[in-house]
Amino acid sequence: MKLEGTNTLPAPIETVWKTINDPEALRRCTPGLDELKEFEPDRYEATLRIGIAAVKGTYKGTLAITDKQAPSHCKLVLQGSGNSGFVRGEGVIDLEPQGDVTLVKWAGDLQVGGLIAGVGQRMLMGVGKMLIGQFFKCLEQQLGQGV
Amino acid sequence: MKPAAFEYHAPDTVEDAVALLEAHGDQAKILAGGQSLVPLMNMRLARPAVIIDINRIHALDYLTPDGDVLRIGALCRQRCVERSAVVEARCPLLSAAIRLIGHVQIRNRGTVVGSLAHADPAAEATAVFAVLGGTITAVGPDGTRTIPADEYFVSYLTTSLDPRELITEARFPVLPPGAGWSWREIARRHGDFALTGVGVVLTARAGTVKNARIGLTGVGPTPARAARAERVLVGRAPSGALWDEAAEAVRAEIDPDDDIHASAEYRRHVAGVLARRALAEAYARTMEAV
Repeated sequence: MKLEGTNTLPAPIETVWKTINDPEALRRCTPGLDELKEFEPDRYEATLRIGIAAVKGTYKGTLAITDKQAPSHCKLVLQGSGNSGFVRGEGVIDLEPQGDVTLVKWAGDLQVGGLIAGVGQRMLMGVGKMLIGQFFKCLEQQLGQGV
Repeated sequence: MKPAAFEYHAPDTVEDAVALLEAHGDQAKILAGGQSLVPLMNMRLARPAVIIDINRIHALDYLTPDGDVLRIGALCRQRCVERSAVVEARCPLLSAAIRLIGHVQIRNRGTVVGSLAHADPAAEATAVFAVLGGTITAVGPDGTRTIPADEYFVSYLTTSLDPRELITEARFPVLPPGAGWSWREIARRHGDFALTGVGVVLTARAGTVKNARIGLTGVGPTPARAARAERVLVGRAPSGALWDEAAEAVRAEIDPDDDIHASAEYRRHVAGVLARRALAEAYARTMEAV
């Protein structure tokens, strides 16, 4: 499934770039991200715990940040699996300075398979959007406080 | 398919059920009809550590008209509501929508309150509850509270209920005298969750729409009210053109998602078509009522 959107973050582009490349900020703002360990430069091992209501799953996987063009562009490659399914995806993030704030354009293609995809199809995209929304809201709050 | 191991409790009273919820919090799930929870457990998508089966709390098995509301207890089966003459007479929208939940075997076990607790935004009961402006009665460690429909649904399968609260009752307001109503939905196969469903309650007097309520399933993370379309209708003279205008307003204010069953664009289109048909049907029923 393809997801895309734009968000405006209340900080200059250099600050936003630093934040989205900061494992600690990512860990705090990614819903359900329990652990994020850098095992080589720009490659992370992650443990995600995602769930709505009684449907909870733990996923282990890797996240790689590639094609870095500081401070405006990077690509994320993600794969993980857990006992209720697997997830594979790629996303592209572009930052555009707009005075004191930064426009974030993001687009991704996510494949979810296994049990969770078979049963949860109806809600996958909506839940995906909701989680990404939570991520940006958290970044917004963090950057808002920093200014 | 078998569920992961869990601890099982079957209390006889609401007090005992709430004590168990207080002890186990979000590790516990309430089992009533089990038509959503049990399949999720059998597929091991849900692995609750504790199941609290409320089927022995006979005090929760009731369907009682009380003034302008229908009080539906947490153990009242969907089939019982569907076949009730009182519901048919005073809240036919609810009867009509419930008839389209799954299959008869599912409705024999499934409960109306369970459907509201599960809060699947494609479920008929959630949209009827939202469109009528019902209330939830929940009992928790801190006592009893009521939650109005517009504060109840939060997101997919998520409500403002505390994990330590048990819903004992849902109240559905009956239709106002002379009101017309309609429930329309489209599913790919009989018994499937509808791609989208539309419920309408409409009152008209002296050639103008006095009040209109439109609720939808399957077009977002919660059952939706089409508030803008409702405002388009009030005070205007009923006509095919007005229904078209309201249907366009419905399309403009919903934000459905794609899935394997239908694209967002198709869902949006269908929601408008169903809204138009439902409005026309509801208005025709106001004429019959006179």
